[in-house]
Amino acid sequence: MKIAFKLNEKPVMIDVDPMRRLLDIIREDFNLTGTKEGCGEGECGACTVLLNGKPVTSCLVNAVQLESAEVVTVEGVSETEIGQKLIACYDKTNAVQCGFCFPGFVVSSYYYLIHDGEPDLEKIKRALSGNICRCTGYTKIFEAVMMACELVGGQS
Amino acid sequence: MKSPIRVDSHAKLTGITKYIDDYREDGMLEGAIFFSPVHAGKINKIIFPTAFDLTEFTLVFSGDIPGENIVPEPVSDQLFLVEQHIGYKGQPILGVAHPDRETVRSFVEGIKIEVDEFPALTATKAALDDAHNAFGREIVIDHGTHHDIDPMWIHTRSVYYTPHQEQAYLEPQGMIARFDAETRIMNIRGTMQCPYFVKSAVDQIMGSKIEGTIVQVAEGIGGAFGGKEDFPNIIAGVTALLSYRSGKPVKTILDRAVDIQVTTKRHPSRTEIESWLDPNDFTLRKLSVDYRLDAGFYQTLSPVVLARGVLHAGGCYKCDDIYVHGRLIRSNTPPNGAFRGFGAPQSLFAIESHMDDLAKKVGLNPLEFRRRNLFKSGDKMPTTQPVPENHIHDTLERLLDLSDYEAKAKDFAAYNSTHRLKKGIGLSLALHGGGYTGNGEKVLKSEIKVVIEKDATVKIYVINTEMGQGVQTTLAQCVAEELGHPLEKTIYMFPDTSKAPNSGPTVASRTIYIIGNLLRKLAREIRAEIGDTSLEEYIRQHPAEFPMERRAHFTPDESVVFDEETYKGTGYKDYSWAACAIEIAYDPDTWTVEPVKVWAVLDIGKVINHDVAIGQAIGGITQGIFWGLSEYFEKEGMGRMNGFTDYVLPTSLDAPEFVVEFIHTNSTVAKGLGEIPMDFPAAALRNAFLNASGKSINEIPLIPERIFREE
Repeated sequence: MKIAFKLNEKPVMIDVDPMRRLLDIIREDFNLTGTKEGCGEGECGACTVLLNGKPVTSCLVNAVQLESAEVVTVEGVSETEIGQKLIACYDKTNAVQCGFCFPGFVVSSYYYLIHDGEPDLEKIKRALSGNICRCTGYTKIFEAVMMACELVGGQS
Repeated sequence: MKSPIRVDSHAKLTGITKYIDDYREDGMLEGAIFFSPVHAGKINKIIFPTAFDLTEFTLVFSGDIPGENIVPEPVSDQLFLVEQHIGYKGQPILGVAHPDRETVRSFVEGIKIEVDEFPALTATKAALDDAHNAFGREIVIDHGTHHDIDPMWIHTRSVYYTPHQEQAYLEPQGMIARFDAETRIMNIRGTMQCPYFVKSAVDQIMGSKIEGTIVQVAEGIGGAFGGKEDFPNIIAGVTALLSYRSGKPVKTILDRAVDIQVTTKRHPSRTEIESWLDPNDFTLRKLSVDYRLDAGFYQTLSPVVLARGVLHAGGCYKCDDIYVHGRLIRSNTPPNGAFRGFGAPQSLFAIESHMDDLAKKVGLNPLEFRRRNLFKSGDKMPTTQPVPENHIHDTLERLLDLSDYEAKAKDFAAYNSTHRLKKGIGLSLALHGGGYTGNGEKVLKSEIKVVIEKDATVKIYVINTEMGQGVQTTLAQCVAEELGHPLEKTIYMFPDTSKAPNSGPTVASRTIYIIGNLLRKLAREIRAEIGDTSLEEYIRQHPAEFPMERRAHFTPDESVVFDEETYKGTGYKDYSWAACAIEIAYDPDTWTVEPVKVWAVLDIGKVINHDVAIGQAIGGITQGIFWGLSEYFEKEGMGRMNGFTDYVLPTSLDAPEFVVEFIHTNSTVAKGLGEIPMDFPAAALRNAFLNASGKSINEIPLIPERIFREE
């Protein structure tokens, strides 16, 4: 079926199997490989993108759900001003290790930053609880997001 | 000093870094492997699903292997593909390729086999309990003074069990193979820790059909933790065969559920400790450790894991009559392999739990009991190696300051007597030998290469992979600092067996300790030749010398001698040390344990990048805590867990608070860091539970069902 939606603010049109996963559409049809597949069952959050402004695991979204939708991937977040400030905080805290889960963390923490942004550890933990990281033990991720909240909190 | 920002950080955060599944080639096929659905048997027939057109698929069986059907390293006893007899559920039977991933996966799911099933040993604890299941490598360490047992000595016997653990690297295993028909070179790219292992595996399976193999790593390796040490050999071998047969590039990415079911895990263990204490001062007079690991069906890496396990079995304690017996147990399950700590977490869990059990028995607090028994500089380890330094004492004393352990232990006892919810605090100590065990590094003779280009770019060629632990940054720092050259112009080159010499596997906490220190030495030599001038200036004055290539070999310290037969001598030249305290909350009505706060003090010698080191420590401790608390892999009647929905990993909401500090950082030697954080948390957690509840539970994880059962 033909589906028209917005991907990182650009209108796009695809002709696909209605059950094709959003994750595959992003990675294969648009070659945006920043979004990763870690588990394929919505548990790990490595494939997190924003769908109509909300974080979703793109491995559990089908093409049929995309008509007129707005999708933002880590590549899209990286182009926004707030996204860049957030990423700079992740850089400064040296939070990254293997990096496979981080595009998902960037998307989830970007969402928290623009919808709440309070530098509150418990809230940050909840906002990131849909993303699994096996390397870091999370502490440095909290530091990075806390720093970003203090830097841009209230700006949105 | 401010830590330099990781050079791989930004590209990973913005999604630019390419992991193996992000690479594509023209005409590429998707590969998959069909793994045995039964535990043991003899295959009579393979039946393919009828809904597919078989001619669209490339199929490879053991009979199609032009070379040898044996994975060459580490111990060559494992088949690439089943010939007729199946030894375990999850054993690779055939490789399949097709242009479409979904199609190849549904095809493989539809394959059935007709098989004469044989009885199989799959129950882990039952397998470990029966020493008749022992096979392969057996190690005895027995160099102490043999005392006759005094009937007055306090005798204790305890058995400790630890389970499988899934590495759960976020990026599943994967490889791309491309056979070049003109050059007859097999090109491999993938996610792995040991490119030269993969090279020899592909050379072996392809035999004389190829001229050679070139192995390159993907830019990003999405975690490994030991899980990508030897299993990549099999994926690379089968994928190479598929590429050779089809004439096309083939990419094989394991589906997560398959990855969890068939790849190598941490070995389940059974450690039986018998101890005898002097009744006057409660010091250890005699210690006997029976240490068993469930290897699975083949030995593969297990003999080396066993070696590290037995060498750490005495912990940090003084005992002049210690006997350690290590055995591998064979079961009809996939071979277990490397996972951060490599046998040491299992034996240290046992000895550190035993210390608390003994303290409780004789009525001393766990700290006082440890203080009486800690070994000191010059005391003999079980191999007769003298304890090189008193740094374990220093980590412990600093830990007590940081955590206020003694005050907390008192406060919690008072609190628990009047409250329903309990608090507990537990201690644990660890040592971890850096680099390969015994003579391993002598045999490996790692080689490194540095090239200085005309534009003063310094390129580092090693084969040790960046899998998240930070070596892309820290190895570059080692060279940049010694050379007095900017870090931006000092580049770690992604491992490629056609360009980098064999600097050995990325394992055993050896990358900074062996390779980093070797690079520093080479950089110092280059600096000495250049003199005081900048590298740029020197190149201007001596243009003919550049590009300049320098190589160096690891040169072993000749005073380090280890007898592989008797296990006498220097097991490891340098040890890292650690002390840890964990505070928990325990709800006795729901049997739930919650880690609240963790303090850890580590001596890893010189710290190259403080942020990276803290990240390694907290990440490793987290893996250790949840191995002890909640990660479980098998359920009776259900078998192995089948994905991240079943195998429950800690999330941000589970993370405790951390206080981590490094001491003795002014050392000239950067010692091993990667594994020691995994060695101590499970015992500290278990001992905190003992402190909170008064109950000794000798098996992890401490899930509510177990606590309930043991009550």
